[in-house]
Amino acid sequence: MCGINGIFAYQTAASDPEEAELLATRDHMSARGPDGLGAWRSPDRRCALGHRRLSIIDLSDRALQPMTSEDGVQVVVFNGEIYNFPKLRAELEANGRRFRTTSDTEALLHLYAVHGPDMVHHLRGMYAFAIWDQARGGLFLARDPYGIKPLYTANDGWTFRFASQVKALLAGGRVSRDPEPAGIVGFHLFGSAPEPFTLYRDIRALPAGHTQWVDAVGPREPRPFANLAAILADGARRPAPLAELNARVRSATLDSVRAHLLADVEVGVFLSAGIDSGAVLGLMRDAGQQRIRAITLTYDEFKDTSEDEGPLAKQVAKTYAAEHILRRVSEREFRADLPAILAAMDQPSIDGVNTWFVSKAAKEAGLKVALSGLGGDELLAGYPSFRDIPRWVGWLGVTSLPGLGGTLRLLADAFSPGLHKRDPKALGLVELGGSYPGAYLLRRGLFLPFELREHLDGELVREGLRRLRPLKRLASSLQPDPGSAIGRVSALESANYMRNQLLRDADWAGMAHSLEIRTPLVDIATLENLACVVPLLSAALGKRALAAAPARALPDEIVERSKTGFGVPSWYFATKDPGALALKKGVASRARALDVLKLDQPALPSSLASAP
Amino acid sequence: MSSGARILALVTSAFGGGGGIAQYNRDFITALSACSSVGAIDILPRQRSAEVAQMPARTRQLDAVHDQFAYSVKALEIALRQRPDIVFCGHLFMAPLAAFIAKLFVSKLVVQTHGIEVWPRPTVLQRVAVEAADLVLCVSRDTLARVIGWTAIAPERVVVLPNTVSEVYAPGDGSALRAELGLQNKTVLLSISRLDAEQQYKGQDRVIRLIRRMRDQGHDVVFLIGGSGDDQVRLETLARDEGVAEHVRFLGEVPNPQLPNLYRAADLYLMPSAGEGFGIVFLEAMASGVPALGLAVGGATDALLEGDATAASDLESALAGRLAAAKPDPAALAARIRARFGRPVFQDRTARIFARLLAADMAIAA
Repeated sequence: MCGINGIFAYQTAASDPEEAELLATRDHMSARGPDGLGAWRSPDRRCALGHRRLSIIDLSDRALQPMTSEDGVQVVVFNGEIYNFPKLRAELEANGRRFRTTSDTEALLHLYAVHGPDMVHHLRGMYAFAIWDQARGGLFLARDPYGIKPLYTANDGWTFRFASQVKALLAGGRVSRDPEPAGIVGFHLFGSAPEPFTLYRDIRALPAGHTQWVDAVGPREPRPFANLAAILADGARRPAPLAELNARVRSATLDSVRAHLLADVEVGVFLSAGIDSGAVLGLMRDAGQQRIRAITLTYDEFKDTSEDEGPLAKQVAKTYAAEHILRRVSEREFRADLPAILAAMDQPSIDGVNTWFVSKAAKEAGLKVALSGLGGDELLAGYPSFRDIPRWVGWLGVTSLPGLGGTLRLLADAFSPGLHKRDPKALGLVELGGSYPGAYLLRRGLFLPFELREHLDGELVREGLRRLRPLKRLASSLQPDPGSAIGRVSALESANYMRNQLLRDADWAGMAHSLEIRTPLVDIATLENLACVVPLLSAALGKRALAAAPARALPDEIVERSKTGFGVPSWYFATKDPGALALKKGVASRARALDVLKLDQPALPSSLASAP
Repeated sequence: MSSGARILALVTSAFGGGGGIAQYNRDFITALSACSSVGAIDILPRQRSAEVAQMPARTRQLDAVHDQFAYSVKALEIALRQRPDIVFCGHLFMAPLAAFIAKLFVSKLVVQTHGIEVWPRPTVLQRVAVEAADLVLCVSRDTLARVIGWTAIAPERVVVLPNTVSEVYAPGDGSALRAELGLQNKTVLLSISRLDAEQQYKGQDRVIRLIRRMRDQGHDVVFLIGGSGDDQVRLETLARDEGVAEHVRFLGEVPNPQLPNLYRAADLYLMPSAGEGFGIVFLEAMASGVPALGLAVGGATDALLEGDATAASDLESALAGRLAAAKPDPAALAARIRARFGRPVFQDRTARIFARLLAADMAIAA
């Protein structure tokens, strides 16, 4: 886990990259890589690469980056981890490649030399990297299939730039801050800017699961190499028997956790009172990890409520003989850290505060790496959305005649003035609830598209929606059709909420504390292994299978505990009023939509304290 | 018939035409015609032009058709006959027609954008046409940013191909012309543009307002204004009002062959324009060995990479600084301009861009 950046003056008219810009961008990411730094320039000085290192595999200086191939033809900067590195190395060495380090970074150089851009098909891990190819005079970039690791690019028509963070690109001083309406509108719709957009017109994310080539003409369109929906669709075509569910989940998750323990430093774990992190901890024990330190956050404000994760987490830690670190976060600390949180937040987010504190606690414990249960809900149908969305689509699918929903919304608003303010999601039900993308937007939306004009400039909204095309963008997460209702929701959740919100938050909040957060339940090999059982899942089935995955299953109290999310009592810190957040429109509208549909959701306000 | 790509170029003007856009189109089509992958180029201009003695290889310019409807019919007729592989649209105004033809004949669409025509938000038809393009060429980084700002096109399809500068612009001895104009021992400022009352952004008025102060600072300044148009009266009036009429000279239309020498006769090319898509005149001046000063507005920032680009509020101090500074070595300045914007650079970039356009896989190198 590191920070990478680069500048490639591909147009002849452009000036050589400036050292000051390269270093300003690189060193803005110093928290991403406190263990080492480096910079490199191509012989013609037209390409410059920078790197900040958090050393985790091969701690020696020989693994410093930018790393050049033995023949000097390729140079790589890499952020992330390649979990199948030992296997790749053995294969490469068997084919005559000679390694100078024990770093997974070097494997990227060898793989590129052997396979070229197709190298990405051999990788299992979380990664964002760039390889300068001297022989072809271009830059090759790649980002992992789930988008765990970030990679942002900026192209002004003369010079191409990239970095691990948006703010790092801006810190270089050469990238425009002109706003991107699609990013701003997207943030208001989803609570995070949906990739590839950012808040800035000239900065875009390289989409997850894509590669990009940049040569003397400039950047080419990113090319996809992995597709979550396609993997789910493939699984749906060869469904496994239900009787195999538990065995398959155990096998796949144990394999993933074992792979994610690859490190030359200690690997800890974030532990909540939920199934996902508890199972990861149990599987760490099964995988043979000796010393395991597990970190749990508690808040006084949650004491004696179902939100307090401390007691149950302690029980789980005891079950697996982990050293348990219970870290209390006070309101005072929350307030003191808030400016730093906002500064570290690379792009605006409505979440991530909890990850900040648990990462801080991990760093205090001296950890550089921690596993997280993030992704369990998306993989194993843990969210209420897996139940709600197919149900809504089933009920409302018949109303999805073009224009009908919008007309009904306008009529309802005319006959019941103010309804759009009281219950915007009820108003949007017929219009959106009849399709998977629409129902997903209804479920996850902070605001709905027709609400935006009340909060943002009309021209900005029009332009933002036109550029973003939110429903079409969501629909693209379902190409090809994942083949089952659960698969569709899984693809939507994984490629949108998880990618743009959870994983991004994990990156900035972890990296701010120089902590690498690893997510064994967000792993392309695991998805491939489990895609055949996804169509069978329900919330109870999937999570129970995960709870049973460790050799010693999770305690019943954990399995039976209702889902609470990973909450911070920020609403209480801010207002001292437990119900105050219900007055806030976006979250309230989401809650009301659930209420309108008379689903058995937890009562307000506890369900509002955190993202679902 | 050649086996290379057949290109239909819909342009406002090109060979035999005047102005920066015609110059760009000539440069571009000439460079294109030298690409081995190009078979034949048919150019259909809107505006009548002077006789053209010689056209580039594999290139044919048809008679100009000014009327919009007749132009569209003619373009369709040529496309029907030629079955173009590529439709090149030389101006945003014609993008809807070009997009329609490209769609009809399943051709690749290339739209050229220059400068201020993309500054206001385009019509819906123009925007949709640009979004349908396989490639949008921009003369400057500023133009690219503006195009990306109002289209939802994949940004990688928008590519900068900067202006180039002809070899006829090179350093030389301008003393004879200075003597002829009676400018010995003067500090000669030069600006060349159309003097169009609708294009008052070129900034000659800003310069006229500074002449008195420059002279008060001891600079024996004369401002030469090349070009003609209906804005000249306003500028003449301003010069009189400022009391500097005798230090401002209107040269009228300057024939192209005389331009290099005129540049060489100047001490500074000064055009604080607030509306340049690029500003090829800056390149011509600097390629002639004369330093250039303009505003850091729009595409001029690109053209002035080897010159001085300043904010309008700092123009006076920037001008004073330039006049007080030593003149750059003309040969070195010209060499730097050629290294960035010379014809070989332009030719090479055009060839690379079209090789990518014509490649089966636009996404990534094979």
